[in-house]
Amino acid sequence: MIGLISYLTFFLTIALILAIAVLGLNLQWGFTGLFNGGIVAFFGAGAYGIVLLGGPERVDGLGGFGLPYPIALIGGVLSAGALALLVGLATTKLRHDYLAIATFGVAIALESVARNAEYFTGGAKGLSGFERPFESFIGNPFVYSLAFLFVVCLCVTAVYLFLETLVRSPFGRLLRAVRENERAATSLGKSPPTVRLISFVLGAMIMGLSGGLYATFYAFISPQDLAPVLTFQIWAMLIVGGSGNNKGAILGTLVVWGSWVGSGWLLAALAPQEWQLYAGSIQYILIGSIIVLTLLARPRGLLPEKLSQMHYTRQHVLAHTNAREAP
Amino acid sequence: MKRSRSLFVSGYAALMLGLGLLGASLVPVSTAQAADCTTKIGAVLPTSVDWGRPIAETAQFAVDLFNEAGGVKGCDIEMVLRDTQVDPKIGVDAAKALVDLDKVPVLLGAVSSGVSMPILTSVTAPAGVMQMSCCSSSTAFTDVAADGKTNGLWFRTFATTRNQAAVAAKLIQERGYKSVGIFYKNDDWGQDIGKLVAADLEKLGIEVTTSAAINDAQPSYRAEVTEVLKTKPEALYMAIYPTEGISVMREWISLGGTQKIVAANALKSDEFRDAVGMQYLTTLVGHDSAPPRTDSATAFVDMYKARFDSEPNGPGLPNSFDAVMISLLAMEAAPELTGASIAAQVAKVTDPEGTPVSPDVDGLKEAIKLIGEGKNVSYQGATGAVVFDENGDVSAPALAWKFNEEGVEEVSYFPLADVDAFITTLSQ
Repeated sequence: MIGLISYLTFFLTIALILAIAVLGLNLQWGFTGLFNGGIVAFFGAGAYGIVLLGGPERVDGLGGFGLPYPIALIGGVLSAGALALLVGLATTKLRHDYLAIATFGVAIALESVARNAEYFTGGAKGLSGFERPFESFIGNPFVYSLAFLFVVCLCVTAVYLFLETLVRSPFGRLLRAVRENERAATSLGKSPPTVRLISFVLGAMIMGLSGGLYATFYAFISPQDLAPVLTFQIWAMLIVGGSGNNKGAILGTLVVWGSWVGSGWLLAALAPQEWQLYAGSIQYILIGSIIVLTLLARPRGLLPEKLSQMHYTRQHVLAHTNAREAP
Repeated sequence: MKRSRSLFVSGYAALMLGLGLLGASLVPVSTAQAADCTTKIGAVLPTSVDWGRPIAETAQFAVDLFNEAGGVKGCDIEMVLRDTQVDPKIGVDAAKALVDLDKVPVLLGAVSSGVSMPILTSVTAPAGVMQMSCCSSSTAFTDVAADGKTNGLWFRTFATTRNQAAVAAKLIQERGYKSVGIFYKNDDWGQDIGKLVAADLEKLGIEVTTSAAINDAQPSYRAEVTEVLKTKPEALYMAIYPTEGISVMREWISLGGTQKIVAANALKSDEFRDAVGMQYLTTLVGHDSAPPRTDSATAFVDMYKARFDSEPNGPGLPNSFDAVMISLLAMEAAPELTGASIAAQVAKVTDPEGTPVSPDVDGLKEAIKLIGEGKNVSYQGATGAVVFDENGDVSAPALAWKFNEEGVEEVSYFPLADVDAFITTLSQ
């Protein structure tokens, strides 16, 4: 029983850490329509930022400033924000698929830097030996994992409430205006490039927070954590959950990550011995099938965006048309 | 919408049906096992990757042999195998599920150091589970163990990069090459060995003209190849994997590069030989950790051939075999099946003073008997008489190999004492 609780605690911790990155993407794509194809870059900036700022002294490289944890975490978030500001300014003219390719390139470049700039990042070996905050104070690993989950829950709640407030505010309407029709927004005297930049940087900082918590939880970060598959995973979570809906983003994370690892567990438990060697490959097929089937059933995600549903569903439009044609 | 809903329902139904069938077909398999109790161990290996699957296959083979010899404490061993997808998140999750849900006291894996490390620091060490990797060679583990962060729960049967690098330098020195260019795989293993070999060569007074990183899956390596070529090295050292190795070698030779090549064990593959062409590989010499000159080592090769109908030529196969055997012998010797208790027994089953035992069914039966009498044994494995140091690292005898028409043949053999002595002279 305690084993199950321990595993679920672990599962939820990772899922909710990823959910934060999905919320960040939801701000960029769901509300503003920015196609970020380089999520790992901002995730990685946060992760490396916190380990370098808060980690132990390194013999052969930069880092080991040993800053107090909250400052290191904020540092990680800010470094993701700074990277996003640079990328955002450079790509201010780019939209949709062009932005996607540009950000994808940034992510590949950053992974390459992490792999090669040994002085800064420890190279392919990664950075290990990070002391998790309060771990020695709490002692018991199980209690610590519960406490960590609690902190991650607080972070998710904070990000969620921040985003909900943001998108309900006039600025939130501005985001959607830019997403739906930039020219109309300009005609109202708004500046879409500024709005896009703010949204991009805020979203990237949220991704940096996710990366920071991730590196803290594993007490380790290496370029292998920045593989492009993470970008795909985060996107799958948002699309399955329903872009433009923050609750959907969190639900989608739980569903996709749950089926991602759950399918592996199920195959290990159920597949016959002689299939076990191929279970890994079957798992990929299962993961793909679950994503595709969910999207076939609910093309707009598990929890679609509420606003747009009111305006654009067929019944609604028909009702309007009928009402107008009635007399 | 209706149509897609029904598609969805039928798809899900098919999925569930498939899983149900999987479950149903499981029943006859599990009842076919002999012993009436089973003990679980965990394995996290990259089974969805081409070079990872044989490693898992070999591990399962070792488990089968041990079960044939009577299993651990009279119980059959069930190896619960999970795929890592070479993704640290997935590997750590699989390890956590094995430790928490299946309650395994021993975890085998992973292969990539970037996956093994977070498993060690965030799953096995905190939970007190013993972890034994067949294939992670990064020197970072030695540092973490020396810091006391592994609680003595970490072992690996793959000789560290230090050991392999020294042998590479020795081969280059023996052949009298005066200057060497290096290609290394741009990951933890490659960066480690590339740097160590370069440092060792400088110590030996051999010039390293340049070192070029080889990233995975590039369509062409012309830039890297020309970069090394223009420094005009007399010989070449290659620490890369077969897939990239094939592309690099083709471009290297087509641009007129030297065929005086020393290669790491990762290139010891029939695929590489066939794709490059034997005529270009006659002066290539490779290094690898070596089986000892005992009957038990050839026994592994014979058993492997009898089981799989091919030579155990892929990377990490003997190491995977030994990781399983040592773990299971230690479990047999442990008073209780907890990670710490098992880890404490590893030294007793790999005691150089103990009675030598071989890893075939008869040898294992004898080992189980001796352990039952409280005696220490010296496990003679597929990679030699394995002995771990205080950081869970092994040294190993080494051999030099070259390709021939049939596969791979041995050129020379360096006993363990020679390798260790050479490393000592290098570190002075």
